[in-house]
Amino acid sequence: MADPLGILLTALSPMNLMLALLGVLAGTVIGALPGLSATMAIAVLVPFTFVMDPASGLIMLGAIYTGAIYGGAFAAILVNTPGTPSAIATTFDGFPMAKRGDGDLAVTLATIASVVGGLVGAILLMTLSPKLATLALAFQSTEYFWLAILGLTLIATLSQGNVVKGMIGGMFGLFLSMIGVAVIGGDVRFTGGMPSMLGGIDIVAALIGLYCIPVLINMVASAGQHLEPAPARGFRFFEALGIALRDWVNLLRSSIIGTLVGILPGAGGSIASLISYAEARRASPRSENFGKGEPSGLLATESANNATVGGGFIPTLVLGIPGTPPDAVIMGALMVQGIRTGPALFQSGDGTVYIFMVGLLVATLLMLPTGLIVGRYAFRFIANVPKAMLVPLIAYMTIVGSFAIHSNPHDVLVMVVMGLIGWVAARGGYGASPIVLGLVLGQIAEQGFMRAWMIGGARGDFAGQLLLNRPISWGIVALILLTLCLPLLRRQRQARPAPATIPIGSRPDMPGLAGAAIFLTLSVWILAQAQALSTMAAAFPLAVGMAMATLSLLQILRSWRGYATTDMEAGSDDATGRGAVLAVTMLLWALLFPVLGMFTTSLTACAVLTMTGQFGRPRLRQLAIYSLSVLVMVSAFYLLMVRVLNIPMPVGLLP
Amino acid sequence: MLGSGKWRHLLGAMATTLTMSATAAFAWPDGPVNYIIPFNAGGESDITARYQQPFFKKTTGQDLIVQYLPGAGGAQAWSGLNGYNGDGMTIMGTNLPHIVLQPMLQDPGYQTGDITNVYMFHFTPDALLVQKDSPFQSVQDVIDAATQNPGAVIAGGTGTNSANHVANQVFSNETGVQTTYIPYSGTGATESGLLGGEVDVLWGYTTVAARQADAVRMLAVATEERHPLFPDVPTFKELGIDMVGGAYRGIAVPSSTPEELRQQLSNTIGQINADPEFRKRMENDGYAVIDVPYAEMDAFMADRQAAYESVAEQLKSQN
Repeated sequence: MADPLGILLTALSPMNLMLALLGVLAGTVIGALPGLSATMAIAVLVPFTFVMDPASGLIMLGAIYTGAIYGGAFAAILVNTPGTPSAIATTFDGFPMAKRGDGDLAVTLATIASVVGGLVGAILLMTLSPKLATLALAFQSTEYFWLAILGLTLIATLSQGNVVKGMIGGMFGLFLSMIGVAVIGGDVRFTGGMPSMLGGIDIVAALIGLYCIPVLINMVASAGQHLEPAPARGFRFFEALGIALRDWVNLLRSSIIGTLVGILPGAGGSIASLISYAEARRASPRSENFGKGEPSGLLATESANNATVGGGFIPTLVLGIPGTPPDAVIMGALMVQGIRTGPALFQSGDGTVYIFMVGLLVATLLMLPTGLIVGRYAFRFIANVPKAMLVPLIAYMTIVGSFAIHSNPHDVLVMVVMGLIGWVAARGGYGASPIVLGLVLGQIAEQGFMRAWMIGGARGDFAGQLLLNRPISWGIVALILLTLCLPLLRRQRQARPAPATIPIGSRPDMPGLAGAAIFLTLSVWILAQAQALSTMAAAFPLAVGMAMATLSLLQILRSWRGYATTDMEAGSDDATGRGAVLAVTMLLWALLFPVLGMFTTSLTACAVLTMTGQFGRPRLRQLAIYSLSVLVMVSAFYLLMVRVLNIPMPVGLLP
Repeated sequence: MLGSGKWRHLLGAMATTLTMSATAAFAWPDGPVNYIIPFNAGGESDITARYQQPFFKKTTGQDLIVQYLPGAGGAQAWSGLNGYNGDGMTIMGTNLPHIVLQPMLQDPGYQTGDITNVYMFHFTPDALLVQKDSPFQSVQDVIDAATQNPGAVIAGGTGTNSANHVANQVFSNETGVQTTYIPYSGTGATESGLLGGEVDVLWGYTTVAARQADAVRMLAVATEERHPLFPDVPTFKELGIDMVGGAYRGIAVPSSTPEELRQQLSNTIGQINADPEFRKRMENDGYAVIDVPYAEMDAFMADRQAAYESVAEQLKSQN
C-alpha cells in the first residue's frame, strides 16, 4: 500500500471533495427519479472522466453511484414508487410513514441508515476485500437458487391476511420473469408472437407501473391530500438519530447483510434490502408493525442497499468480476484509464484504488448534509403541492422514466399495462409486492436451479449438487425454514389459551374469486405453451404453472366460502370516473408518443391530468399558474433527457 | 505593419477556415453520437466501445455516448435497429456469430440481412480455459477425461446459441468427445463459475486469460497462429483440432442511413483502428484488431454465414 497520508491528502483535495459533493447531489436526484439509474448516469459521465485525473474521475463515479442508491428512497417514501430496484423494500414502511405525516422523519431516517450502511460497506471494502472476495466464488448456482427462494419467502410476510393470494401473486411474478428468450435452452417463451416481448418484461418498467399507477389512480379518486399535510418543522434529525441509535443492532446487521449480498455478482441491492428487511422483521419485538410504517423496516432496507455499494466493489476490484451493473461500467472506465482490475491490483502498489476508496467514504459522509436538505425540500414539495400539479408531474415522470431505461417506447407500454394489471389485481386482494418479488427473483431462481440440475445430472449426483454437498446452502435453507416456521410457532403459542377462530365472511369474496379464475386460466395457458418448449426451458414454467393452478383452485374454494375477505393492500377507494380518465390517458400517452412525439403528447396529457386532479372549479389565476408550471415542467425534463442524458427520442410527427 | 506576404498568408488562412467551417456544417457528426451496446456493461462489447470512445473524440471532435440495451442475447436491440433515425447519430454494436445464428435458429424479430454492418473492428479468439488448480494441464487431458466419461466434463460459456456454445459444439465435432455445456448470463458469471469450481473448463476468449492472469490457465487458442500475448499457449490447429473462430464485433447503422454516411463512419472507425495507441491497448487485453470496412462487408458476411450454417443445424437438432 502506498503512503497513507499521501492517499488521504489526495482524496481530500478541494477538487476531489467538490467532485464527490457534485456526484452525490447528481446521484441523489437521478436515483430519486424512477427509471433513471446509476448505471445510466455513470455511463453518460464516463467520457468526462477520461480528461480527469483517474482518481478524481473514479471518486465522482463512485459518488454518483452511492448517491443514486440512496436517492431511490425518496420516491419510495414519498410516492410509493421505488426510484431504483434497491428501494423496493423501502416502500413497505416508508410510504405508510409518509402517508401519516411522518415523511420528514422517514427521509431523515433513510439518510442516517444510508450513511451508516455506506460507511460499513466502504470500510469492509478497504479492510477485508481480498478475504471477502472468496465469498463471491463460494456462491454458485445452487446458492443463488436458494437465495432467491429465501427472498420469495418474504411473500408470506408481505401478504398477511391472505397468504394464498400472495403466493398466487408471486407465481404470476415468476411467470412474468420467464417471458422472452430463455437463457438456458434458448427457446422463445410466452411472447404471444410479439417480437417486442423477446427481451422480456423490464423489471424497472414493471416496478414503476405496479407501484406508481395505483398510487396515481388513488390520488385522483378522492379529493383529500396525497400525504398528510406537514407543518413547517426541522429535519427531526435528533428524533431520527435517537431511533437509529436504539436500533443499532438492526442497523449493523442490515449493513453487514448488505455488504455480503453486494459481494455476490448478480444479486444486488434489491435482494440485499429484501433479505435484511425479512431479518429485521424476524428479530424485532414489533414485527406486527412491519408494513404499517415501522421505522426499523426502513432502517434495515436503506442501510442494506447502500452497503451493497462498497460490497459490490469487492469482487470488481479483487476478482475483476463486477458485482453490480454500475460496477461494470466503472470497471470499464478503470480499464480505459489503464488500471487493470483483478488479482494483481492490490499488490501493484498503485495508490489510485485506495484514493478512490477514501473518496467513496467521503462521498458517503457527504450524503448526510446533501440528503437532509434535498429530502426536506422533496418532502415539503410532495406534501404541499396541490394534486392538480402533482398528478401530471408524477405521471410524466413515470412515462419519461420508463422510456429512459432503454429509450424504448415498448417499455412505456409495459409500464402502463403492468400498472393497470396491478391496480385491477389489488381490487381482488392480490397485492403488487408479491408480483414484484417473483419478477425480481425469478431469473435468479430459474437459472440457478437449472444450472445446478444440469451439473448434477452430468456428475450423476442431483441431491449433492442441489443441497447435500453445499454447506452454504444448508445455512440458507435453515434461514428459509426459520422464516416459514417461526411465525407459525409464535402464533400457536399465542393462540393456545383461546384458539383463534378463522374469520369467515358471510358473503363470498367475488373479486378474489374472479381474480383466482383469471389466474387459473393463465396457468392453463402456461402449461399448454410449455409443451412446445425444450426440456431445459420448460421445467420451470411447468412447475410455476402447476403451482399457480393448484393455488388458484384453492383460492376459488376459499373465496367462495368467504375466507379473509379483507386484504391490507386492497384499496378502500371507489373506481370513480377520474380513475378511468387517468387510466385511459396513460394508455393513450404510451401508445401515441412514439407517433406524435414525446413533447407534444406529454404536454397534452399533462393538461388533461391537471383537470383530472383538480377538485372544485379552479380560479382563472390558478389555471394560469397550472398551465405555466406544466409547460415549464414538461420542457425542463424533456431537455434533461435529450440534451443532458442524450436519450434518443422516437421520430414523431411533432417534437 | 504587416508585409504583403503576411497578408496573403492571413487571407489564405481565413479562406481555409471558411471553407472548412462550410464543410463542417454538413459534416458528420455534428453532435454527440449514441453508441448502443446490445449487452450489459462489463463485457467485451462494452469494454471495446469504451476503448473507442476517447479516440472517436480525437478523430471527430464529438463525443461517443455508450448506452446499454440488453435483452434476448442482443436480439432486443438488433430487432429495433432500423427504427432509429438514419442520420448517423445513432449507431449500434453488432456481434458475430449472434446476428447470423439467432435468425437461423428462431425468430428473433430481425433477419441477418436487416442489419447494415459498416465495420468489423475486432475479434476475440475462442479459448479453452481452466482454473489454476485444475488437474487438466492440456487439451489432451480434457479429451481423455471426456472420452472416459462422456458428458462428465462440464464446460461453461455465455448464453445459448452464442459464440461459446458454437465453440463447444465445434470442439465436440472435431474431437468426437462429449461435454456438458452450461450457459451463463454474462462473462462475469462465467468467470465466477470457473474460479469457484462449478465448471471444469470454460469456453471464453483470450481476453479472459488476459484479465484473470494467474488465476486461470489457457489450454489452447482458436487462431491460425499463436497469439502474441500468449506465446506459450498452443493453437488448436497445432494440436490437430481444426478450430479457428471466435466472436467478431462491429458497428451497424439503421438501414435508412445514406451511403455517404455509412462510408464516412466506416472511415472513422478505420482511422481509430489504425491509431497505434488504440491497437496497443486492445492487444494488451487480448483482443485482435481486424479491419473489415464497409466496402468489404458483404463478402465477409457471406463467408461467415456459410461457416456457421452447419453448426446451426446441429444446435437446432439438440433442442
